[in-house]
Amino acid sequence: MISTKLSGRTPRILLFLYEILALSLLFVYQKDNLDRYILATGIGLVLLVYISNYMLIKISKGDNYIFLIATMLMSIGIIMIYRIDPEAGIRQLMWLSIGILFFYLSYFAVKYIKGLDKLIYLYIVGAYFLFLITFILGTRTYGAINWIRIGGFSLQPAEITKLILIFIVACYYSQYEKFKEIKYSPYILMGIVYSFIGLLFMQRDLGMAVIFYGIFLVLQFIYEENRKLVLINIGLIVVGGIIAYYAFAHVRVRVHTWIDPWRYIDDKGYQITQSLFAIAEGGFFGKGLGLGYPHFIPLAYNDFIFAAICEELGIFTGIGIIMLFLLLVYRGFKIGIGQTNNFYKILALGISALFGIQSFIILGGVLKVIPLTGITLPFVAYGGTSILSSFIALGILQVASEDAEWRMDHE
Amino acid sequence: MFNILSLLFKYIFIIIIYMFIFSIIRLIYLDIKGMDFVGSGDYAYLKLINRKDSLPFKINEHYSIDEELSLGRRGDNDIVIKDPYVSKNHFQIIEDEESYFLEDLSSANGTYLNGELIGDAVGLKNGDIIKVGNIEFLFVNKG
Repeated sequence: MISTKLSGRTPRILLFLYEILALSLLFVYQKDNLDRYILATGIGLVLLVYISNYMLIKISKGDNYIFLIATMLMSIGIIMIYRIDPEAGIRQLMWLSIGILFFYLSYFAVKYIKGLDKLIYLYIVGAYFLFLITFILGTRTYGAINWIRIGGFSLQPAEITKLILIFIVACYYSQYEKFKEIKYSPYILMGIVYSFIGLLFMQRDLGMAVIFYGIFLVLQFIYEENRKLVLINIGLIVVGGIIAYYAFAHVRVRVHTWIDPWRYIDDKGYQITQSLFAIAEGGFFGKGLGLGYPHFIPLAYNDFIFAAICEELGIFTGIGIIMLFLLLVYRGFKIGIGQTNNFYKILALGISALFGIQSFIILGGVLKVIPLTGITLPFVAYGGTSILSSFIALGILQVASEDAEWRMDHE
Repeated sequence: MFNILSLLFKYIFIIIIYMFIFSIIRLIYLDIKGMDFVGSGDYAYLKLINRKDSLPFKINEHYSIDEELSLGRRGDNDIVIKDPYVSKNHFQIIEDEESYFLEDLSSANGTYLNGELIGDAVGLKNGDIIKVGNIEFLFVNKG
């Protein structure tokens, strides 16, 4: 039935349908404390998603799917967040609207501002500056200093720094010939990236450190002509990992609770065991929205949103989310391969790697496949800066999916 | 009341999410299937101007013209396009002494050459744009 009637519109209509149904269910669930404001924002979200998807096809000649996939993930996420905590849901809705706005802003900025590939020194200074203000203004939450509070807002500068990292590496490798003339330049680049990782380690933001390392390794593996450096990079992380395990207690805790969370169920292993209970409780089709107990999972709408979704909407939805991420990463790599401009190619590859690594780390952590580190699931989890940086990254990917020939004509 | 609704909806949600994934995978699959053009040579070919993944049916980026090339919805054409807008036999391109001619096979919606509806057979030159429905081809003649 679908294969004969399939058109480019089908996914957009399905997304619309999903949101309408989920929204009406939530309104029935929350019918006692429903007011006109909540109703309006809910309908606003549906319209916003539909219109921005429709607009994008008109504006951009590039890929039509990445934004659709991202908005689907986002819809699954916000419904769950709203169900757990309506107030957080409303705040998330605001962030998503700003996120979509930033998607278009970064799309137009990256598309029309020329010479972004010449600003490598500015990016490096900017990255260090963001680290500096994190240390000065940072507050410690859940053992990590990675938040700064300005006014009523909490910001996580590292979310922006990870995009800057991709820009730095893209600048470097797109002008490889020029930088090769500087002596030891690959070592200097590696030194800079490792200093970022070291600073993240000092902030105890382990998940982010792994993301930085992963992005750098992927891009270095693709572009570095001196293959010895790739081996050095892999070797360093093995040695570094072992040293970190013995030197830092908070690293050791992660590994112990990963290997055997049941022994620490009262205390440190509590998060993981609750997450596993929740996923097991949900079964294939879940308990039904509003009928589970996601409040038993710590940070249910943040790091552990995947467990909460699995409990109420079933492991099939969970597998669906993983498949959506696979599609997103696949599209990203295909965009990278198809792009002729080297700078945009590396940006696209870096951003695809970012989405892939970030979702793998948190999904793996929640499912007890790898040690747990607290980072957000892109597009799905609650979190202002994370949503913003994901949408900015998506906007850059959207630019990269367009023909670079267009740019050449106008230069 | 809410409980029954919620139990029912969870199945609907899963079905919708999987239909969504399926429809995207299918569109991407159609996109990949047409990637089989190899190299260049001294011949004439049609190049698709549309972005391939914006068209919801199987279509290639390039079609080389070898003496004759026909386009239509029916399976015995050289280019088969399953678009309701395309007639069973829509147009053909014929080579005659090194020049190429485009002929509309009395299709329902017509064939456009550089924006103009064609009646009789017309000669093609390098860079001409042939339009059928929403589909646009660029005619390239390297000979």
